[in-house]
Amino acid sequence: MLRRIAPDLPVSIGDCDRERVPATVSYDLELRDVRKVYGNGTIAVERFDLRVERGEFISFVGPSGCGKTTTLRMIAGFEAITAGEVLIRGQRINELPAERRPTSTIFQNFALFPHMSVQANIEYGLAVKGLAPAERRAKARGMIEKLELADVAARRPDGLSGGQRQRVALARSLVVEPEILLLDEPLGALDANLRKSIQNELKLLQRNLGITFVFVTHAQSEALVLSDRVVVMNRGTIEQLSTPYELYRRPKTPFVARFIGRNALIGGRMIGLSDGLCAVDTPHGALRGRGNGEDLGPGDAAIVVVPSEAIDIHPAGRSGGMPDLGRDANGLSGQVISSDVVGHTLFLVVRLGDGAEVRVESHVARYAVDLVAVGCDVALSWAAEESTIIRQD
Amino acid sequence: MEGRPLVRWSLMIYTGLFIVFLYGPFVVLAILSFQAGPNGGPQFPIIHWSIYWYKQLFSLNPPSSVAPLPIGDALVRSLILASVTMVLSTVLGTITAQAFRRRFKGSTLVFYLVVLGMIVPGVLVGLGVALVSNSLDIARTWWGTAFATHVVYTYPFAFLVMLAIFNRFDRSVEEAAWSLGVPPGRTFRKITFPLIFPGVLSAMLFAFTLSYDEFPRSLFAAGPDLTLPLAIYGTFQIEVHPDIFAFGVLTTLFSFSLLAVYGILMALSLRRARKVAIQEEAA
Repeated sequence: MLRRIAPDLPVSIGDCDRERVPATVSYDLELRDVRKVYGNGTIAVERFDLRVERGEFISFVGPSGCGKTTTLRMIAGFEAITAGEVLIRGQRINELPAERRPTSTIFQNFALFPHMSVQANIEYGLAVKGLAPAERRAKARGMIEKLELADVAARRPDGLSGGQRQRVALARSLVVEPEILLLDEPLGALDANLRKSIQNELKLLQRNLGITFVFVTHAQSEALVLSDRVVVMNRGTIEQLSTPYELYRRPKTPFVARFIGRNALIGGRMIGLSDGLCAVDTPHGALRGRGNGEDLGPGDAAIVVVPSEAIDIHPAGRSGGMPDLGRDANGLSGQVISSDVVGHTLFLVVRLGDGAEVRVESHVARYAVDLVAVGCDVALSWAAEESTIIRQD
Repeated sequence: MEGRPLVRWSLMIYTGLFIVFLYGPFVVLAILSFQAGPNGGPQFPIIHWSIYWYKQLFSLNPPSSVAPLPIGDALVRSLILASVTMVLSTVLGTITAQAFRRRFKGSTLVFYLVVLGMIVPGVLVGLGVALVSNSLDIARTWWGTAFATHVVYTYPFAFLVMLAIFNRFDRSVEEAAWSLGVPPGRTFRKITFPLIFPGVLSAMLFAFTLSYDEFPRSLFAAGPDLTLPLAIYGTFQIEVHPDIFAFGVLTTLFSFSLLAVYGILMALSLRRARKVAIQEEAA
């Protein structure tokens, strides 16, 4: 999966999409070729390279079992590191026990201490650090106010709502002033509305505090909204590490193209370059798109990735003729097999000549609904610039 | 259920019989303990109601042909033995269950080794202990050989109780503590232990009552100074008087009071769990 696509470009995965940084800069968090193998021989994480700068919001995203949580737990100190190195501010922490690492973790179930009040939960970490009672009370109070927990400070965690528990967990972790906050699916246990609002709070909080957040989620939307950079993981390795925008616009692997956004993937063989764009021979004719800096030669198996929002729909109309799509456009034709309107968005599924299905998303007002109803013939087009050509693996 | 009278009636009868068999012997015992003394015997009918045999237990009666029940020392021994056994078994059981939270090499073997202590027939264990201590020339005592066999017997029960408790225990609470900078030892004392305390109480109750009641192992392992069950059995060898029933009633009440203490401690621990405050940490 992670084989280097351009062997002549000696760029390690960790460097993807990063500016070259002078060697003297020490990163807030650095993972060097980290590997995790469980006792039974299962490889959970492999070749994990990552450099995070101070104050970055970085997400690990991927399907369950991809190794994202395991990686987080290795950073936290809950899992032993089989090979490789984890450094925090340039210091190797592989052997440091969890309680001595400058990290703090937020768990999916929040893991509040059920036998302590909210206030005591928040103060506990400070008490263990040996702060004087008055000092820790003041600090805890500050955090309680910051997270608007004053009303429930005396209550027990089991009497709180999901959102309140979430904030208590945040307060408890932040009050000990960690260098890095680790968040393991922290929004997973909340309902959709709450998730949205807490998502925003989280982002604001991170900006204000200026500390590094490492956020694990299986929901790509959370990762894309919150993060400065996203690590997409699959089967224990990094598929792509880049900004949400890049990830979305220029996926590097078929996995990322399927996992992030809503893309149509059309397979074919590379023809070559024309006008700075790659051309791919597909069952639907030649399609063009931007390359991804990859070394794709003529004849190589390639995939054209088309974001569903980039696609224009051209109803065949009564004449049934194929509309002219213009020189730079790419085109496909097919039949609508599903058409749904959700709010202002029109969702179409179009079956192409070879049986492949393409999803299209568009604003509902752009088309006459009866011309894009199930059974209608339509042509689809998009600006070649919008699509990306990647190597088929 | 509503529409099936047959099922309902048979379940009711079953439950009724269950209760009769559970409490019947005790009720009979209790009634006979109020037999007249010193001439009334351990059988119906009741000549007339009296508390003579209770007084007999505490040597409050004028001298008669009936000798006092020789169980006073045995009772003290059994209480001490049960208490110490309870503490050791619960500590061992908790530690072992803690070890079993992670898979380790040979864990299955260790599990069966521990559980063997409650599976092997008690008479055989007792006999074995007697043979071994004879051949090794170790004196058999209630505080030595019997204590060891009691621990071997009750430790698996405590272990299984704690294993069940840890099974439902949310590990991430401990991890949260570590990640806040709390060292593992302190995490166990301040976070884990308060949360598993109800389980610890249950393990203690098991260990105490099992040891207090233990007969077959003690029979061979206890040596010349008898534990309570042995002493009671010994009184049957001569002549049975209703004072033994009076004692039965008292000891059953004692067991019930243990249960009550357990219930109160449980309730207290739940309430205290709600009150464990940071003040403790200040110390």
